[in-house]
Amino acid sequence: MFHDRARYQSSRGYQLAPLRFSRLDDARYIATNDVGEYVVMPREELVEFISHSLPANRPTYKALKSRHFLFDEHSRVALELLALKYRTRAEQLANFTGLHIFVVTLRCDHSCAYCQVSRQAEGRLEFDMSQEHADRALDFMFRGPSPTLKVEFQGGEPLLHFERIRYIVERAKALNQVHGRDLQFVIASNLSRLTTEVLDFCREHGVLLSTSLDGPEDLHNAQRPVRGGDSHQRTLDAIRRARQALGPDAISALMTTTQASLGRVEDIIDEYVRQGFHSIFLRNLSPYGFAVRPRASRPYDVEAWVEFYKRGLAHILRINEQGYPLQEEFTAILMQKIFSPRGSNYVDLQSPAGLGIGALVYNYDGAVYASDEGRMLAEMGDFSFRLGHLSRDSYESIMTSETLLAHLSDTMPEGVPMCSDCAFLPCCGADPVFHQATLKDAVGHKAFSAFCKKQMSVLRHLIGLLEDDARARDILMGWR
Amino acid sequence: MTTKDTQTQPPFIFRDGAVQAVLDLRVYRLAAIQKSAYRFAERCTAVLGSPDADRIPVRFAFPPAITEQDALETVRLFFQELLDQELREQVGDETRALRALIVAQAFSRTDLIRQD
Ligand code: SF4
Ligand code: SF4
Repeated sequence: MFHDRARYQSSRGYQLAPLRFSRLDDARYIATNDVGEYVVMPREELVEFISHSLPANRPTYKALKSRHFLFDEHSRVALELLALKYRTRAEQLANFTGLHIFVVTLRCDHSCAYCQVSRQAEGRLEFDMSQEHADRALDFMFRGPSPTLKVEFQGGEPLLHFERIRYIVERAKALNQVHGRDLQFVIASNLSRLTTEVLDFCREHGVLLSTSLDGPEDLHNAQRPVRGGDSHQRTLDAIRRARQALGPDAISALMTTTQASLGRVEDIIDEYVRQGFHSIFLRNLSPYGFAVRPRASRPYDVEAWVEFYKRGLAHILRINEQGYPLQEEFTAILMQKIFSPRGSNYVDLQSPAGLGIGALVYNYDGAVYASDEGRMLAEMGDFSFRLGHLSRDSYESIMTSETLLAHLSDTMPEGVPMCSDCAFLPCCGADPVFHQATLKDAVGHKAFSAFCKKQMSVLRHLIGLLEDDARARDILMGWR
Repeated sequence: MTTKDTQTQPPFIFRDGAVQAVLDLRVYRLAAIQKSAYRFAERCTAVLGSPDADRIPVRFAFPPAITEQDALETVRLFFQELLDQELREQVGDETRALRALIVAQAFSRTDLIRQD
C-alpha cells in the first residue's frame, strides 16, 4: 500500500530521491538518476548530501534539488515529475525491434583480416538468402509494433546478391501500402559492385548506403585486401558516384580500429575530412568472426582503444573549432543517452555496435538472431543468441522464446551486480553478446569486463570534458 | 607498511601473498563488504570468514606476481571503496520505498500519490 507523500518526507530537512553515484576522478564524484540528470561534486559534498547535512544555500544543493536528487518541503511536483520522466524513458521499450537486418548473402569479394562475419568465396551460392526466407522475414517484420522500420542489408557483400535486395525492397513497399509504417532502407556494402543499375534503384526507392573506410590509402588497403589491391581507390570512386547520383548525405562510412590503426587516429580522421564526411564512428574491433583468429589483426587491449578514442576525440574537437563540423558517432550516442529525455535504460535502438538488443537479424540460411553480433557469434559455433528459424518458428514463438526473454532481462542492468549501483548505468548498456563471447556468460562479471572498462573510461572522460572544458562542451552539446 | 586512509585498522601485513583484516560490522554492513569484494575481484580475492559477534575476518589473496607495495595499495583502495559502498547502502535504505513508488506511479494508470 502506498502512503501520503508526507510519509516519505524526511525529518532531516530534505529527502533523498533515488540516485546512483560513482567516482569521476581523484577529487570528484558523479551522481545520476533514472530520469536522465547528473550532478558532479567533490566527495565531501557527496557525504554531506547523503548524511543530510548539505546546507540549502550551497550551489550543489540547488543543483541537486533542481535535478531531482533531493526534495524538501518546497518540492511539490517532484514525485509526479519523476514518475513522468521515468515513464518517458522506459517507453522506448514499446518500440522494440525497429531495426531488421537481412543478411542476403555471406559471399564477399574482399578478404579483410578482421572480418566479423566469416565471409564466403564469391562463387558459393549456397550462402545466399532464398526468396522463401525473404518472404517469411518480411512477414515477421510487419508483425512487430514499431511505427518506424529500418531495413538494413548486410553480408558478406550484399550487392553480390542484388536481386534479393531488389525483391525485398519492392515487396516491403508493396506490403507497406496496407501497413503504413515509416520504412527506411540501408545497404551496408564495400561498394565494389556499385553499378549504375544499383544507383538507379537506390535513387528510385530512397535507399541509403553505408560503407567502410578505414583511413588513408596504405592503411585501408592493408586492412581490406581485394584482388587488385586497390580497395581504397575503388571505395573513393564509389563514394563520389553515390554522392553524385543520390545526394551528399546518402552515403556514410564506418571504420574499424585494428592494431595498425592505433597509432594513426589523426590520419584516419583527416582522411574522413578529406573525403568530405561530417561524421566518423571510432569503432573498436569486436571479438567475433575472423577478428579473433590469431593471424588476423593482433588483438589490443581496451586501454589502448580508449587512448585511441581520447586522442581521436581531441583531434575531432580541434577540427570543429577550426570551423569544419565533424561528429564522432559513439560519443553522439552517449550524449543522447546522457541528455535526451527519451534516452533508454534498457535497449539501445540507436547503436549499431550492439549495446543492447534492438534488432532482429534474418540470416542467409533462415536462422533468426537477436542482434547482428549474435549471428557473428553463431558463425563461431556459439548459438546462444539464435532465436529460431524462419521456416520452423512463428513470429509469436520467437518473440516469446526463452532465449529472447532471458536476453532481454540481461539487458536490464538494474539487476546486475555492480551496474545496479553504478552512476553510469543510465548511459550504459548490457551487451550480452560481447559478454558471452569474452566471458562465456551473457551477463558477465563486470570487474572482468572490457565492455565495462571501455564504458566507464569513455564516460568519465566525456563528463570530465563537459564539466571542465567550455569549448568542448559547446561542441559536444551540438551532437545530442 | 601501514595504509594512510584506514585509521580504524591496525597496520596491514603482506605475508604469503595475502593480507588479513578484521572488519567491524557495526561500521560496515555485510552487504557493503560483499559488494566491495565483488568489485575488486579482478585485483584480489577477498575471502570473507564467519562473523563472530560484530567482527568479520577478511583475507585478501593476491595473484602470485604482485609486489607488496601494490598489494597494500589495493587494500587501501578496498577500504575507500567500502566507504562508498556503505554510503550506497544508506541511499538504498532511504530511497527504496520511494523508488518503488515512482516506478509504480510511472506504469500505473491511476494516481498512487495521494495529494495533501
Ligand atoms: S569485412 Fe565486409 S568487406 Fe571485408 S571480408 Fe568481411 S564481409 Fe567482406
Ligand atoms: S557495465 Fe560497467 S559502466 Fe556500465 S553500468 Fe555496468 S558497471 Fe557501470
